[in-house]
Amino acid sequence: MASLPRLYRARTSLSAIPSLRASHQPGAVASYHAPANSTSTSTSTARSSPISSSSLISNSTTISQAQLRTPTPLCIRARARARPDSHAQCRIQTPLHPWIRTYHSSLHPRPPTHEYNNSQVAILSASLAHIPTEGFTRAALTAGARDAGFLDVSVQLLPRGEFDLVLFWLASRRGLLRAKVEDGCVFGETAATAAGDRTGTGSGSGPSVDEKVRILIMERLRMNKDVKGVWQDALAQMSLLGNIPLAFSELHALSNDILNLAGDTAVDSTWYARRMAIGAIYASAEMAMTRDPTPDMVETEAFVKRRFEDKQALKDKVEGVGSWVGFWGNTVVGVGRSWGLKI
Amino acid sequence: MSARPAWRALHHSAKRRVVQPTSPYRCFSCTRQASDQAKSDQQRMTHFGFTNVPESEKESRVGAVFSSVASSYDNMNDLMSLGIHRLWKDHFVRSLNPGTPVANRPADAKDQGWNILDIAGGTGDIAFRMLDHATNINHDMQTRVTISDINAEMLAEGRKRSTATPYYNTSRLSFVQANAQDMPHIPSNSVDLYTVVFGIRNFTDKQAALNEAFRVLKPGGVFACMEFSKVENPVFDAVYKRWNFGAIPLIGQIVAGDRDSYQYLVESIERFPSQEEFRGMIQKAGFEIPGKGYENLTGGIAAIHKGIKPISRPLNLPSNLRVVLLISSPYIEGDELI
Repeated sequence: MASLPRLYRARTSLSAIPSLRASHQPGAVASYHAPANSTSTSTSTARSSPISSSSLISNSTTISQAQLRTPTPLCIRARARARPDSHAQCRIQTPLHPWIRTYHSSLHPRPPTHEYNNSQVAILSASLAHIPTEGFTRAALTAGARDAGFLDVSVQLLPRGEFDLVLFWLASRRGLLRAKVEDGCVFGETAATAAGDRTGTGSGSGPSVDEKVRILIMERLRMNKDVKGVWQDALAQMSLLGNIPLAFSELHALSNDILNLAGDTAVDSTWYARRMAIGAIYASAEMAMTRDPTPDMVETEAFVKRRFEDKQALKDKVEGVGSWVGFWGNTVVGVGRSWGLKI
Repeated sequence: MSARPAWRALHHSAKRRVVQPTSPYRCFSCTRQASDQAKSDQQRMTHFGFTNVPESEKESRVGAVFSSVASSYDNMNDLMSLGIHRLWKDHFVRSLNPGTPVANRPADAKDQGWNILDIAGGTGDIAFRMLDHATNINHDMQTRVTISDINAEMLAEGRKRSTATPYYNTSRLSFVQANAQDMPHIPSNSVDLYTVVFGIRNFTDKQAALNEAFRVLKPGGVFACMEFSKVENPVFDAVYKRWNFGAIPLIGQIVAGDRDSYQYLVESIERFPSQEEFRGMIQKAGFEIPGKGYENLTGGIAAIHKGIKPISRPLNLPSNLRVVLLISSPYIEGDELI
């Protein structure tokens, strides 16, 4: 399995040309990587690896206002059906329906379908500031739209309404978590050394993967501090029937990110089980967090610790049962064969 | 036996092709002139149902249709759509959520309430619903609606109905007779919400109307349109077509005593562009499209299209843009946005 930074680099180089071209068309919806390219045109070094931490820091400061005008596309990827020509060049493999995929591959990542254009990002990011007071409501969106210079009616830009705000909150916090780790704010190491660890060249003396996962979950939970009081709004939105699939895929993306950032690269039969376990622990810890009166989330931390112990206990038991069944199965088969049974 | 006439016909047509070239003469220096002429030739005709009529005539013909159906408009809508049009209209208004709750209004806002322009809304169906929603749901007493229609009879019907509403003779409701393709009486950048419900189908030049909508809307303003569209399920489509072409003209004949108008109605529905094409037209006018740009109602019999006029000044994007760049994880699977 490829290490994470290498993976991103490969993907970016595939899409560099069409996305640059798309970003020059006013009003066009550019490829997923267009922003990385369009924002890094001012620094030629940044283009080679737009996701690496150093170039990202420079990007965020060198974006010119001209590039951020409305028609210029931001982090958007054209859906195959909408702009078939750009997509064909964007990826080497162009399946008929790229958004329907029955397998997981980190070498051919799933194209993002969850995308916002510049105006939507402006409204949503302005709305984030109003969440602690207004909750995940339309009022927060309206206030955000007004702050961003739009009208009250412009909330129509977000077809899912409040749920878009919830999704944007989740996704942007996830992005922050990733940025923090890659800047070395969490484990005290940079993305490069982490990658070195993963490929086996580093010393690997840091905390274990499990320990890192726990740290990351707590890090993510601490980001919820301000919205603790209004989190039930988001839970209510996410539990609506039509919103459940997207809410779950966001949870999956978070647990996947956490495992990747913790350096877990194993691709074995427990791939899904590990992600489900992390997702379950995170989601239940979120519930515990809403009832946690302590300012430093001490109780939540204790809760997470207990859940990890539970996870370990469950894992031990399942493995124990598995090896017991395997041993007795082998024994029975061996005894049967020694008696001359054809098995 | 038949070889000879066939040969003659071929021979004859071959001869004629030589004599009369299919494309008009043009030289390198006059390409533009030639294409201009061809364009104006094409544009002179437009469709009126399944028949082609000169553009100048369509307006008066549509006018005649709506003048003749104005009085029985509501009964006919109920019968033709089995009452479902009320659900569509309610949903349309609810999704737009007109009006700003007083509590959410900044104290220093100079322009209170929304300025809504309801095009082709002669009978006031949408306008009254929007005012009701703003008043009763959002407690917004300042939002106002201008009903604009090209047809005087439809407007008269709306005026008559408005007497039964609390908005009669207030500044919140006004009527204007105008052609939506050219509205010089409405200043640019003055409208918050532009709605056209079951009307744009009848416009002579839809793109011109969209461009005019773009002009009158404030930056950030919303264009919302509900119109008959294409049914996506082929089985349901067959049933729907049968209903359209079999039942609706008959109902028109029996109830309104006017078969031709309703024949025109179903033909114009058939001729209206599909969801994707119309979305393209909205984009062409300069609007930004939220999500996939349209919402199908009842399997695509009708569709709600929305477009937002982009704001012209630079957007205030977050300084930590890299966070936003990272959110589109390859693992998110959702419904079709964009």
